[in-house]
Amino acid sequence: MHALSARLKVQKGNFSLDVEVNFLKEITGIFGPSGSGKTTLMHLISGLEKPDEGHIEIDDSLILDTSKNWNLKSRKRKIGYVFQEGRLFPHMTVQKNLLFGSIYADKDQQNIHFDEVVDLLEIRGLLEKRPKSLSGGEKQRVAIGRALLSAPKLLLMDEPFSSLDVALRRQIIPYLIRINKKLGIPMLVVSHDLPDLLSLTQELFLLRNGRVEGHGNYFDLIQSEKSLEIMRGAGLMNVIPFKVELHDVENGLTHLINRDASHEIHVERELINDCCKVGDELNVSLRPEDIAITLNEISDISIRNQLKGNITKIIKKENRTYCLVDVGFLLIVSITQASQQKMNLAVGTEVYCLFKSMALQINI
Amino acid sequence: MNELLNFSEDELLAIGLSFRVAFWCAIFILPPSVFLAWWLARKQFRGKSIVEGFLNLPLVLPPVATGFILLLLLGTNGLIGKYLDEWFGIKLAFSFYAAVIASMVVSFPLAIRAIRLSIEMVDPGYEEAAKTLGANSLQTFIRVTLPLALPGIISGFVLAFARSLGEFGATIIFAGNISGETQTIPLALFNEIQVPGHETAAFRLLLVAVVFSFAAMSFSEILVKKLHHRK
Repeated sequence: MHALSARLKVQKGNFSLDVEVNFLKEITGIFGPSGSGKTTLMHLISGLEKPDEGHIEIDDSLILDTSKNWNLKSRKRKIGYVFQEGRLFPHMTVQKNLLFGSIYADKDQQNIHFDEVVDLLEIRGLLEKRPKSLSGGEKQRVAIGRALLSAPKLLLMDEPFSSLDVALRRQIIPYLIRINKKLGIPMLVVSHDLPDLLSLTQELFLLRNGRVEGHGNYFDLIQSEKSLEIMRGAGLMNVIPFKVELHDVENGLTHLINRDASHEIHVERELINDCCKVGDELNVSLRPEDIAITLNEISDISIRNQLKGNITKIIKKENRTYCLVDVGFLLIVSITQASQQKMNLAVGTEVYCLFKSMALQINI
Repeated sequence: MNELLNFSEDELLAIGLSFRVAFWCAIFILPPSVFLAWWLARKQFRGKSIVEGFLNLPLVLPPVATGFILLLLLGTNGLIGKYLDEWFGIKLAFSFYAAVIASMVVSFPLAIRAIRLSIEMVDPGYEEAAKTLGANSLQTFIRVTLPLALPGIISGFVLAFARSLGEFGATIIFAGNISGETQTIPLALFNEIQVPGHETAAFRLLLVAVVFSFAAMSFSEILVKKLHHRK
């Protein structure tokens, strides 16, 4: 069942948006370059803007239908909107901010309690503070908590990564995953940063010039030339779910194993920190440029991670060649056209994908 | 020096009256100016400039002319005043209320301007956030816009109060110069200057006018600074 389905059309000066989207109960990413209409789409869904034509349903209840002249106001839509800048009320303490919307929420629909939200987002120490004295990440967590306490059926997140500096931006991810899993609230996350978005979800909608240019699983999307073209400039990324298999304390390595236990990779323990126990699941990100391809396994080399697979697709863009290699899961590898020609790589060729463990990024 | 503090009974009456007029003027003016300021700051509509021009008219119109208009409208034989007298027996002209009304009309644009500026400085993003959290327009206004614009609203109140303390032209035409009833500080000052040998009395009133006007304006400036600081 769809958590939200929407058909929306709007003309704003030279820009027009014309989209049809269906989102599931999980986390869905909306990716697009700036100016692609991401924020307009969010505003239309939340009711902050009105479309020229449109139809929106959430959980099968009608929110908007311009043909029937039906347009539920923002405040009645039960959609939590977490703005890019947080927009915490500066004249209220964190606690008052959090409770702002709860007095308007139906008591029987409020399945999340104040204490639960405060603990989930780890903001108990901030309750008496003013927004002014909070860090970017703290502000964002409070803004999420405030939206949750208004008992929303859906959570919209506008660029949750971009208001934070690089070192902190991914800290928000585990909170978002926890909210979705524990509270079962569907989430739409808008971002122009593909690697960050991918570390949160692989279900994507691609938006360009106000049109949906593709949607579905990331690995299905990269097989289409048009989708690849849109995502290419934003930093393609391999995101692979792994499980911690064992900590090899003696060699300072952690062994990770993929879902069907067909592959094992080794990473430096420092990368994992101490936060992961054996059996914990985590996402590993790997840039396509950081993978090398060889035709044979190489034994006298320091690189330990060598995954065997077959090339399933080759896509040429300018002077780069993207090879999709099925090593049990899909890997995107970016090489030069010269290498591809010299090695005579084609669909079906058996290859080994090599990468240093330092090239891996771990998202807990 | 003692002479400067030795206020006569009439002077004390004028000072007390001035404050009463100014206080009621600022109080009555506040609700409509907050509403109009919000309306002008947040809504776009046809003919907005005409409304703004009309509201700002008392700022540039000679106060004597404003007083004359008030007399024509609310005087005992005036357009509206006639019926007020006929139906309700209310005579506004040349009364304490006339002094308050004259002050209100003249201070209105100043109060609206100060309050409007402060509402315009409130990021509409906060209001949007309040709406997505379930608040209606009135709740949003009371819980978000109003507290964030509060320094400007107080500043508008103080400006209206101060402008009323200095009001002369409209008052003397519409309310007259009746000691104890409509004779405020500026009117009393005018009287004293007219009479030879009353320079000390005139100076006393001058001093009072300067001190209170200065205090009010400084207070208003502090509030404006606070508003900027908050942003």
